[in-house]
Amino acid sequence: MDTSSTQTAAAMQPQGSLSPELRLRLYRLMYECRVLEKRAYDLFMQNLIKGTSHLALGQEAVAAGFGAAMRADDYTYCTYRGHNHTYVRGVSMAKILGELMGTTAGLMRGKGGSMHLTSVEHGVMGSYAIIGAHLCIANGAAWSAQYRGSGQVAVCFFGDGTTNIGAFHEALNLAVIWKLPVVFVCENNLYMEYTAIGDVTAVENPAADRASAYGLEAIIVDGNDVDVVYKTAIRALEVARRGGGPSLIEAQTYRHGGHSRADPGKYRPDEEVQQWLGKDPIPAYRQRMLELGIPDAEIERIEADADAKIDAAVEEAKNAPPPDLSLADKDVWADGGAAWRN
Amino acid sequence: MDVLMPQLGETVAEGTVATWHKAEGDQVEADEILCDIETDKVSMEIPAPKAGTLARILVQSGETVEVGTVLGVIQGEGETLEESSPAAAESAPADPPADPPAGSPDTAVTQAQPVLDEELTVTRKVPNLQAVLAQQENRRLSPAVRRLVAEHNLDLGAIQGTGRNGRVTRRNVIEFIESGAGAPTVEQPAVSVAAVPSAPPAPAAAPESGRLPFNRIRKLTADHMVHSKTTSPHVLQAVEVDYSGVDRVRRAVKDSWKAQRGYSLTYLPFIAHAVCSALREFPNANASVGDNELILHGEVNLAIAVDLGPGGLVAPVIHGADRLGLTQIAESIHDLAARARSNRLKPDDLMGGTYTLSNSGTFGTLITAPIINQPQVAILSTDGVRKKPVVIEHPDGDSIAIRPVGILAQSFDHRAIDGAYSAAYLDRVRKLLEQTDWFREL
Amino acid sequence: MAELTYRDAVAAGIAQEMRRDDRVVLLGEDIAEAGGVFKTTVGLLEEFGESRVRDTPISEQAILGATMGAAMTGLKPIAEIMFSDFFAVCWDFVANEISKTRYMTDGQVNLPLVIKSGNGGGARFGAQHSQAVENWAMAIPGIKVVAPAMPGDVKGLMAAAIRDPDPVLFFESKSLYATKGEVPDGEHVIELGKSNVLRSGTDVTICALALMVPRAMKAAETLEKEHGISATVIDVRSLVPLDTQTILSETAKTGRLVTVEENPRLCGWGAEIASIVAEELFWSLDGPIVRVTTPHVPLSAADNLEDAMLPNAEKIIDAVRQLVD
Repeated sequence: MDTSSTQTAAAMQPQGSLSPELRLRLYRLMYECRVLEKRAYDLFMQNLIKGTSHLALGQEAVAAGFGAAMRADDYTYCTYRGHNHTYVRGVSMAKILGELMGTTAGLMRGKGGSMHLTSVEHGVMGSYAIIGAHLCIANGAAWSAQYRGSGQVAVCFFGDGTTNIGAFHEALNLAVIWKLPVVFVCENNLYMEYTAIGDVTAVENPAADRASAYGLEAIIVDGNDVDVVYKTAIRALEVARRGGGPSLIEAQTYRHGGHSRADPGKYRPDEEVQQWLGKDPIPAYRQRMLELGIPDAEIERIEADADAKIDAAVEEAKNAPPPDLSLADKDVWADGGAAWRN
Repeated sequence: MDVLMPQLGETVAEGTVATWHKAEGDQVEADEILCDIETDKVSMEIPAPKAGTLARILVQSGETVEVGTVLGVIQGEGETLEESSPAAAESAPADPPADPPAGSPDTAVTQAQPVLDEELTVTRKVPNLQAVLAQQENRRLSPAVRRLVAEHNLDLGAIQGTGRNGRVTRRNVIEFIESGAGAPTVEQPAVSVAAVPSAPPAPAAAPESGRLPFNRIRKLTADHMVHSKTTSPHVLQAVEVDYSGVDRVRRAVKDSWKAQRGYSLTYLPFIAHAVCSALREFPNANASVGDNELILHGEVNLAIAVDLGPGGLVAPVIHGADRLGLTQIAESIHDLAARARSNRLKPDDLMGGTYTLSNSGTFGTLITAPIINQPQVAILSTDGVRKKPVVIEHPDGDSIAIRPVGILAQSFDHRAIDGAYSAAYLDRVRKLLEQTDWFREL
Repeated sequence: MAELTYRDAVAAGIAQEMRRDDRVVLLGEDIAEAGGVFKTTVGLLEEFGESRVRDTPISEQAILGATMGAAMTGLKPIAEIMFSDFFAVCWDFVANEISKTRYMTDGQVNLPLVIKSGNGGGARFGAQHSQAVENWAMAIPGIKVVAPAMPGDVKGLMAAAIRDPDPVLFFESKSLYATKGEVPDGEHVIELGKSNVLRSGTDVTICALALMVPRAMKAAETLEKEHGISATVIDVRSLVPLDTQTILSETAKTGRLVTVEENPRLCGWGAEIASIVAEELFWSLDGPIVRVTTPHVPLSAADNLEDAMLPNAEKIIDAVRQLVD
């Protein structure tokens, strides 16, 4: 699929210039996400991360573009493939890796795991592991912001597979009729899990082609171009913030690995994988910055910082003790306990 | 650096090396594919974790190994194998994956709790259920009736049953007791001092030869008993206590207590109360032996041994028992015993005991030499209370009276205290039981 | 003290809390303009306005999602799921999301929300609009479950449910909507997790919930008058938290327990109570624990078929007499 020809909205074109500082920030976010998830993969190979994990290697530009565009008090709702969306809101690498490893360094001290990263203080209102529900839940946060007049926006990330579940459609309809300040971001990485999204979807563009059913503009963007994502995010957030209602954005991208850690992703044709590896958002953006005259030394410093940061984070996450057994029956209820009887 | 068999799925415990793409001694780049592995679910390529030499292949193609097994070793530039592999092995505990998550809410509790041991259950052939029930119909007693009969030492034959097919109901028993017909006489056997009696023993079946493997509680108990006997030189001392004063109170409040709380007021709370008061005066008995020192515990955390029948024995703890009044102690004992029997003790309930009461009186024992509950230094056995002729000394001349009398026997650790100290303490417990104005303590 | 219907008591409880806390908002199908299909929200739109009382499309997932999202960001929403049977189309939100979020996030997120729903049979609606599903909810850790039987309790428990910091499923008995009872004027709140002993007897203890409570009371009166059997009746009121202390102590006094449930036989809440009593009160029992339930069948629409399935006073009397005689 040629993404350049499917960009529909003129405002989404990578035009206008971003400041060098902003570009370096976008690059830093993408690069740190990459380092974080690559290390998560390594730790899994060393059996230090158990259970399951779903990596977004190759999809970093979407998280980074939105992360840089969102206001500090905006809400993020993401899926089980949510490590990057959590990280770009300011959560530390150690808290994410600690949660993946199940140690007390983790965001939820091991009670949630990879698929449920949540950090309310950073506006990360949860990672949701059963697709669809969180679009409806993001509506609720947007409704609350609307009711309180706070100017906050809820941004909800999901994959192409989510567009075929009922909750997606219920959520879009309600968001439109209530004019909620919510931005729905579909990361179309071409595969629902192990099956190509085109094989199981009635329309070519799983999110954008449904937009008209809810009176929304069809927006498709190159999800591997962080400048485009950033500008799209700024516009959609602004529309939502000033009462213009929801947006639905389809960002085209590709995951470098399989669906989850147990999936080598062998169902994908080699040429397709090679083609998309060539569109890796990170080296491409590095090249663009050099062409724009941003000094290589500054880029290298970001890379060296990230490499040092991840090593320290792994140590911190790994060396933290496992959660105390007493945590197992805490916090079912707001009183901190789990009692269901007197 | 070690290359490990990764966990290839949420429920996969092992994997097979399909093909090695590299041979021992080959140079490899970081992320270069070393080998293919597969399970019944997926296959996957294993990349090199870093650049270097594939120094060793430890699992050959075709071999199936557990998750976490070292498949091979990458030797980085300038590294020696001795440097890299032990550290890596350490960082990769081969804990069993996939199975129930450690730390599920039950784990903490089951550590200290008895579980029904399936090995001990005997499978029997059940004959036609209806026939069995019909045969039993007029002998069937409800749990409440069984308990009342046991508590009051009643002769079932004397009670008229008005239930279906002449079954004796709870109301029949209560009316029988209230009528006074069931009042115990001097000849009657021992009255229990149990907090809550455990189930009446099942009728003896014809014994069979065989072996009963120890369940977990049994094993723990066995180990602890041997440990205690080899750690502490045990000395046994006993006193005989006249429970007349205690009985007066028990009789007076019996019905109202039962009606209000749903269980009977036994001797045990009185003994516990007296023990706590006496321990405050004899702190060396409420202690542990440390490294050439005696560690005094300040407050009394009173452990109460509770018999769980075939499930074994546990000793849950009333924390700060010396701060409690008689009623609170009775409530605590009842609560702990009920929770012990229903498997609802929390780990905290079993921790921190400083002195133990062991109660064999249920079966009318005369005297029991208990084994110390380590690391405490003494344990008191409360044996059966029965009416006996007692000589009452008086300046006008001695007389013989019928009094409820029972033995309290203490085993103490002779490393910690001596016979005179223990004797003085026991004497104090006896005096407290016999002389306290128990009506004021209620 | 005013006499209100059960349905008016629902609105009274909600209105009481909306007046004292402007974070309380209400959403659901037909609840605003129409005042609810069961008329349990009449007058709320007029008093509190469109921003606090919102009609939704027929989208149960969107309703519960919005409820949860609002609760986690500062509001105290009340959602209506019109018929409790419809929980089946949005159960993901109850079973997976609302119930587990506080636990999974290590206590970061509280969900002070109420989901009210018309529950149970007796209205000839047929199998898909008549189910008593409170036991579905009871099976999930993290959800509180309330089912009142009387207008006074409806108001007081609704108020408590709204104030509670945890998610509460509030089951309204459809067949009781038209019944009347005394409701205290002014602020009225009843603590969650406390059952109510409606009458004390010596021979048997009957535990009932919602629609089964008036039927158990009627049975107890007949048992006393015509059969000389004296029964205690407990209105359980709240399944989670469950007031086991009252149930255990009242059962200990009589030595016999009968539970009366509207839900079908398997895995009903009475089974849980029976198991607790058997474990903890075995040596005080003077007979087996007996459960009176709807048989394990879907409900029919025809008058006589539905009536034949639901527990009623006659069935309770039969069960008690079998046990006590």
